[in-house]
Amino acid sequence: MEKRRINNNIRKLRFFHNEMTQQQLAEKVGVTRQTIIAMEQGKYSPSLELAFRIALAFGVPLDEVFSYDPDTKSG
Amino acid sequence: MSFQEKNITVSLVNFTLILGFYLIRVFQMVQDGSFNSTNIFRLWGITIVLAIIVTILATILTHIGSAIIHAIKTGEEKPDIEDIEDERDQLIDLRGTKITYVVSSIGVFLSMLTFAFGQPPLVMFSLLIFSGLVAQIIGDISRLVLYRRGF
Repeated sequence: MEKRRINNNIRKLRFFHNEMTQQQLAEKVGVTRQTIIAMEQGKYSPSLELAFRIALAFGVPLDEVFSYDPDTKSG
Repeated sequence: MSFQEKNITVSLVNFTLILGFYLIRVFQMVQDGSFNSTNIFRLWGITIVLAIIVTILATILTHIGSAIIHAIKTGEEKPDIEDIEDERDQLIDLRGTKITYVVSSIGVFLSMLTFAFGQPPLVMFSLLIFSGLVAQIIGDISRLVLYRRGF
């Protein structure tokens, strides 16, 4: 399976926010836990709105959560 | 397995059973020589009504079943099952619906083709509902695959 161009640090950020669980983050941003899992595994790229909600939940700018890798092929 | 996946699995089982029922009835009709318009239209009605009723009942029962299983597992009095539909669920549903439409459109085209090549209208009508059921099953399978893959 090809890797996605959009990478994220959600797993790391959860760890540095008192080991926030996937369920807690899911509830904060209004999605299911399965969506958080899919994002962490790089299988799903969120919408811009959800990306902002996740950044807001961690209290960091968007580019600290998500990064764009133009050299990676889109999956 | 998420609530949405459970719902799709139940729908898949339902439509497979309905397709099985439909095929058995059609083959029985062909064998005993009662494959005529009256019987085929009656079977159409029964199949569609069955599909609607079974889908509604299965959705309700899946919801209740999930709540009971969750309550037993966690011991919560008011179980909070994850039945919200987020953007990923909507995208998967949209893709599944698209696949369902494509398959049913091919089915409709093939049904019309049999009519155009001189087959009786009964064959066309039988194929129409058959392709509708197959399209629903393929759509459900594709939704499950998308859930398993992440998206």
